[in-house]
Amino acid sequence: MRQPGAYSNLLSGGKTGPHSLPLARIKKIMKKSGEDVKMISGEAPIVFSKACELFIEELTKRAWAMTLQRKTRTMHKEDVAAAVMETDIFDFLVGLVSHTPNPSAPLES
Amino acid sequence: MTDGNERLLPIANVGRIMKRIIPPGAKISKEAKETMQECVSEFICFVTAEASDRCLKENRKTVNGDDICWALTSLGFDNYSDTMLTFLNRWRDTRPTPTPTPTNKTT
Repeated sequence: MRQPGAYSNLLSGGKTGPHSLPLARIKKIMKKSGEDVKMISGEAPIVFSKACELFIEELTKRAWAMTLQRKTRTMHKEDVAAAVMETDIFDFLVGLVSHTPNPSAPLES
Repeated sequence: MTDGNERLLPIANVGRIMKRIIPPGAKISKEAKETMQECVSEFICFVTAEASDRCLKENRKTVNGDDICWALTSLGFDNYSDTMLTFLNRWRDTRPTPTPTPTNKTT
């Protein structure tokens, strides 16, 4: 007997379809992470789809806090960068976000 | 044009998840979404590398869901790890169990 709610509720609380993020793409990205990554179980991309949702939600929450400090209603990439700089567990992203210069940063005399 | 975006998750999916967090009427610039795309891909690579390392040390060839959960804890994402373990166990419970093939009995 088909239970369409069980699986989708499990994955995303029933708010979206079965997966918020495409599993095939997640698997491709996993394979690119290193030459040692050869075999990936079927459940690994599914686990990652949830982990990535949590990651995006957390980073977005922190970035939004930065946006509010600037007293605007539009989140910019600088807010995402600032959230990364402020959070220890996002240290692995520091090189990525500091790659592009911040044109709105005030110049110090 | 080659699809170099195969290393990124689709911007529409990423943007949808981001929008869940911000209040109605608030906006997210395209560049912020693009930055988030890059960050997520880096997150996947970072965690996968850690999980893969563990598999190598244990002489296993296949990265599984438990390895991902372990890597999340190892890298400081403890708060995700508990949710993920619950999620993984529930997902395993929902998978249909394979029906045993009947054996031919001769009388």
